[in-house]
Amino acid sequence: MPHGLLTDTSRRLRELDVSSMFRSVVLLVIAIAGLVAGIGYGLLRWAGQIPDLASIELAYHVAIGITYVSLFLLLSARYANRPESIIEVFWSPVAVGIAFLVVGYFVSRFGQSDVVPQLVASSSIGFDLDSGRPLALASVFKMNILALLEALFCFLLLLRLKNLALIKRTMQSQRQWNWMIIAMVVAAATTFMKPPRFELNLYQSIALVPAVGLMMVNAFRTAWIVSLTFRDKLLVIALSVAILGILLSIGVMEEAIAFPNKLVPGSYTFLRHYSYPLAVFTNLCIVFGIIYFTTTILTVLFHLPTTSAYQQKVHEVAAIHSLTDLVGHVFDQSALFDTIAASPVRASLADAAWLVMVARDDHSSPQVVASHRIAPSRIERLVDSAALFEESRESGEPVVLSHAPADHRLDARPGDGIGSLVAVPLSARGETLGAIIATKEVSRGFEPEDVEALVVYGDQAALALDHAHLFEERVEKERLARELDIAREVQSKLLPQQLPEVPGLVLSARSVPAHEVGGDYYDFMDLGDGRLAFIIADVSGKGTSAAFYMAAMQGIFKSLSQAAASPRDFLVSANAAISQVLEKNTFISVLYGIIDARNERMRIARAGHCPVAAASLSGEAALWRSEGLGLGLDQTGELFARTIEERDHALQPGDVFVLYTDGLIESRNAAGDEYGYERLLAVLKQNRHEEAEGIRAVVLDDLDQFVEYGSYGDDTTVVVMKWHGNR
Amino acid sequence: MSNFSVGFRSSGGVTILDLNGELDAHTASELEAAIQKCKDDKLVQIVVNGDQLKYISSAGLGVFMAYIEEVRELGGDIKIASLQPKVFNVFDLLGFPLLFDIVDEEKEAVLKFENGASA
Repeated sequence: MPHGLLTDTSRRLRELDVSSMFRSVVLLVIAIAGLVAGIGYGLLRWAGQIPDLASIELAYHVAIGITYVSLFLLLSARYANRPESIIEVFWSPVAVGIAFLVVGYFVSRFGQSDVVPQLVASSSIGFDLDSGRPLALASVFKMNILALLEALFCFLLLLRLKNLALIKRTMQSQRQWNWMIIAMVVAAATTFMKPPRFELNLYQSIALVPAVGLMMVNAFRTAWIVSLTFRDKLLVIALSVAILGILLSIGVMEEAIAFPNKLVPGSYTFLRHYSYPLAVFTNLCIVFGIIYFTTTILTVLFHLPTTSAYQQKVHEVAAIHSLTDLVGHVFDQSALFDTIAASPVRASLADAAWLVMVARDDHSSPQVVASHRIAPSRIERLVDSAALFEESRESGEPVVLSHAPADHRLDARPGDGIGSLVAVPLSARGETLGAIIATKEVSRGFEPEDVEALVVYGDQAALALDHAHLFEERVEKERLARELDIAREVQSKLLPQQLPEVPGLVLSARSVPAHEVGGDYYDFMDLGDGRLAFIIADVSGKGTSAAFYMAAMQGIFKSLSQAAASPRDFLVSANAAISQVLEKNTFISVLYGIIDARNERMRIARAGHCPVAAASLSGEAALWRSEGLGLGLDQTGELFARTIEERDHALQPGDVFVLYTDGLIESRNAAGDEYGYERLLAVLKQNRHEEAEGIRAVVLDDLDQFVEYGSYGDDTTVVVMKWHGNR
Repeated sequence: MSNFSVGFRSSGGVTILDLNGELDAHTASELEAAIQKCKDDKLVQIVVNGDQLKYISSAGLGVFMAYIEEVRELGGDIKIASLQPKVFNVFDLLGFPLLFDIVDEEKEAVLKFENGASA
């Protein structure tokens, strides 16, 4: 029967089903035609309408052979798939076997009174002893019905046994099974065209040997028994006994001399009259059934005691599997902890278990992070988990306490439910992350295999914990990198996006950040009346805090520049403002100036910053180093205000001023030499005729050339201002 | 990895810290720890000898700023001696000579403490 036709919507599957259904229908038609023809033949023989000709007999036996091969193929298509459960396999032979016995019981007794009892077998069931011709009408029907029923039962039995024997199949087992079927068919075929009264001779007996030999081989294919639960094993024994009973009732090689006591008297004799090969084949099936179910019962009996051990192994594997699964999916640390603590209990390795973990970063004592079947408060009260962890960490071996209450690290009395205890260290990459502590209520509860299983489990758990930690670290790292990116972006926006235009003055600026966010800042502000304020600043230190102070510096520049009358004023106010927010170890170096284009003057003051490098058209180049503390160094501001100097410079056309941060001066080449002031002044002097843009590019190029494979120490900022004169 | 170290010496009641190598953002914590230790041991007359100090960054300067106030409140001082010219220049640019006692010779600094103490 093609099943799944209605449920499968896939077209390809449907086509496949259609073709297999077509095949089934053809086989069914052949089988029914053959069966009907068989009855017809029997009836005609009974009526004496058919002469005992060898050719007619041959045609009959060939037809019967084809009929039953078709029936077998029909059934084998039905039972080709692996059974869903082992127990399912047993039910159909039991049901069909009982049905056969019940039907056979009545059918074989039907019309029995016609015949003379206690005669030789053949005549007693209504056949002519010599020709095998049916003597009664009832005999014809009985023969046909019983043959069909017994053949169907035997075919079903054989196919179901195939399902069992070929579980965990290999090429070899498949081959051995096929050879057995072939040997059975060959043995059956040796009786082709033999008269019903024919008894098996030496030749036929020899043909039976390979068939029976292969049956023995296939009867030991009972690997499916191992995975059964205890309950299923008991069920298998019961069902096997039932089937054995059915098979024995049918009667092996039953000669039926005194059959009235049999449930189905003379079934074998009927079969022989119907078709001798079919009779032999069904008998061989019954023999195989008896052998197979006998070995099954014995094997199950032998396996009964080891069932729990096997089931435990299954649990262990399942526990470890659940853990590896967890590594792939859950990065919730507490869920991982809970699973690790629960799995030994679920695997029946312990009655209660908990997980002890050391904190990664600090050296505080290990903590119980998860427990299963025992409350954390009870653990706290009864067991010194930290001491057990320490011992297992130092030895690298599990600590096994067979009599837990006797150990000094436990405050448990015999009634407290901790009879024995195992502490397994969890180590990954040479580091002990924690320990699993498992307990049983009984003393000596842990066998060496249990400890071994816990150790194996512990290795898996440690790996899972380590992976989870690595993952967490990575996420954290990525999060920081993302935040750093944002910080860098925000910071770059704090720098002027467009340089102001002042008649007679050309500006160029560039800031090259180092790896992290930095503390370099430069800016300009148009003060009106042809006046331009400029600033360059460098916050001490690096990183996020430097970036924040740089932002604060920008705010101070934007808010104070307009109001400050002079660079000195600005810096004094800025120092007062920024000192309130700066940390003690942080300061800001600043260079601040105002260019008055109308009056061609520049005033500049230095608060701890690198001195401005100035060059004149004539080729003089110098560092303007005026007195001045960095912002934040003098919190009171008194010393700051007292010491800061201001320089007033008359601008000459061709004057170039280079403002920069210490990243430029302190950048080092591979030999460890600093770029230095001298080299800056030399480059400036040589390129003083270039435009501001060009000078800035030359300075940075020269730095690149100098550094080569060295490193930029810090953020590097270069601002170039060139005065062309306002006419 | 670290190319910075701090050596401890004492001369009378004065503690001398010998700085060696490069003092930057990564190594600043070592000097911090050294000064913190002096402070914990109530040794607040500190001379920092920079004879072997090759480089100092702004973060390195920050360490001096972080402790000077506390040390002075405890009646001591941090005096800086024997700086190499290049390193001194970094101190000088920021105006540190206005805030700290920076001298050429270690002896001089120790003497200043002794005189100060006896005075």
